[in-house]
Amino acid sequence: MPGKAETRPGSGILSDEQDGPRTAGSRRTFWGALVAAPLYQQVVGTLLGSPRRQFAILVTLPVIWLLTQHLGPMLQMLYVSLVDSYPTAPGHERHFTLDNYARFFREAIFVMPFLRTLVFAAVLTFVTLIITYPVAYFLARHVRRDNQLVFLLLLLIPFWVGEIVRTFAIMILLGNNGAVNLALKWLGFIDRPVPFMYTGFSISVGIIYLTALYMLLPLYSALEKLPKSYTEAAADLGAGAWTRFRKVTLPLTLEGIASGCTLVFLISTGYYATPVLLGGPSTTVFAETIAGFFHVAGDQWPTGAAFACLMFVTALALTAVFNRFMTQLQHRGRK
Amino acid sequence: MSRGTRLFMSLIYWGFVVYVFVPLILMVMMGFKDSKFIGFPITSWTLDWYTRVFADAEVLNAFVYSMVIAIASTAFSLAVGTWIATLLVGRSFFGRGIIFGLTILPALIPGIISAIAFRIYAQLWGVAPGMGAIIWAHAVHNVPFVMLVVSARLATLPPSYHDAARDLGADPVVAFFRVTLPYLKPALIGAGIFCMLLSFDDFVRSFFLGGYKPTLPVLIFAKLRSGMSPEINAISSVVLVLTAVLGVWAERSMRRMSKGN
Repeated sequence: MPGKAETRPGSGILSDEQDGPRTAGSRRTFWGALVAAPLYQQVVGTLLGSPRRQFAILVTLPVIWLLTQHLGPMLQMLYVSLVDSYPTAPGHERHFTLDNYARFFREAIFVMPFLRTLVFAAVLTFVTLIITYPVAYFLARHVRRDNQLVFLLLLLIPFWVGEIVRTFAIMILLGNNGAVNLALKWLGFIDRPVPFMYTGFSISVGIIYLTALYMLLPLYSALEKLPKSYTEAAADLGAGAWTRFRKVTLPLTLEGIASGCTLVFLISTGYYATPVLLGGPSTTVFAETIAGFFHVAGDQWPTGAAFACLMFVTALALTAVFNRFMTQLQHRGRK
Repeated sequence: MSRGTRLFMSLIYWGFVVYVFVPLILMVMMGFKDSKFIGFPITSWTLDWYTRVFADAEVLNAFVYSMVIAIASTAFSLAVGTWIATLLVGRSFFGRGIIFGLTILPALIPGIISAIAFRIYAQLWGVAPGMGAIIWAHAVHNVPFVMLVVSARLATLPPSYHDAARDLGADPVVAFFRVTLPYLKPALIGAGIFCMLLSFDDFVRSFFLGGYKPTLPVLIFAKLRSGMSPEINAISSVVLVLTAVLGVWAERSMRRMSKGN
């Protein structure tokens, strides 16, 4: 009998009775009617009959999606990087080759942008860390907890705006008739405008402007989790401000530093529009090199794919080494 | 903490606020300049650039096109991201770590690499560059963000809610739609707006997967390359205000939920 009561359709949760009194013989809602339908009962009964079957249904779509949508494009890119033509013209055969990778090492013009991208990304990651750490520290430790959200939100607003609009804002800031040059001239430091634009400097300012948030948020959440009592205890034991930071705060926020740096490094290797708009011929980054193979006829795609694979694997390897190093640092600190 | 360090820290914070806001404020100001020539100083002001933007069919078309792409891709991302979150939260099974890692993957792939990987993949499936291809790439790219936001909310759902629904006769499907989904609402609103902004502002995927019709960021990019005019400032300023308002709304929606309301 209790079993019967449990499955009685149109009762309890299915009929919205909790919303207030209804006319006698409670009206069936959409869900009530749906559950009462024999076809529905049959389908759900077969599909979700046991917890095992429920899990199988639940897991199938994600697995298919992840394999075909998240992994598929990367695997296809790897495949294309290993063939001699793609898309292959009708009537031609496709062959496996390593020539696309060999081309990178054969032609010197590709190596410079590659190294420049990695060095840029590494340096900018470090600079971003130095700039945002004090900001995150101030937010997490000095601002009252009720106000933290407002202070954080203030910083988030500009970061909602996309890559192009923010890059454009930097162009206006740094141009020959830009705000910085005007200010310098007005202050009497310079007579003619300083050529900030189309240099490594303008790209750096632009990319830091784009990525600072990805550093700020992990740092903030690491610092926020750190109990104030830790540094207070260190202070009671006579540690000065610098010692407290070096021996307590810094070691305990290494995890936040590691994830912030990983994110910023990976993301800054992938910017395309910012270097195109803010850079010049002497600051070509690898993203522009890769893109070049996709603007022209299709037969260059394999080379572009190979270069993209090289870039991604190198960037991932570097972040893996970096993260290993950071973990070791953490363990050493604990001993 | 001494007063000296405190003051120094607050100076750094406000310096940072100035750093992130000043370029955008200058950009907005330039949109009111009464001259075709971008640059300081601004001596006279006008609203012409704005009236011109709202009458420019090319800009309006690009805006609508970007909105359609944003809404469509967000619908896919929300559905898939929520499904994966439902699978991952509160369950331990073989391969859970792999599924989590694979879900996060698109967020970690550098922009240009993700864009060309999708360009190649679209070719494999015979999808021509254009709206469909862009929606597809945006949808995949945004799934990780939905999964993370929805998982955070789902983890706070008391199991008793679900049990109560089952006791009252709901099968798992009904329990999901009538108990879990309403509970997830703030997370879905927050994640949805977040995805729409990511899609609307995305350049690199839209650029490599687009056909002849430009999305708004691609149009601004093209205009920037062919020569600057305060009209671009007016367009960018409109985008800025819209994005900021929606962003704050999404952020509030998500913060409120973390407080447990």
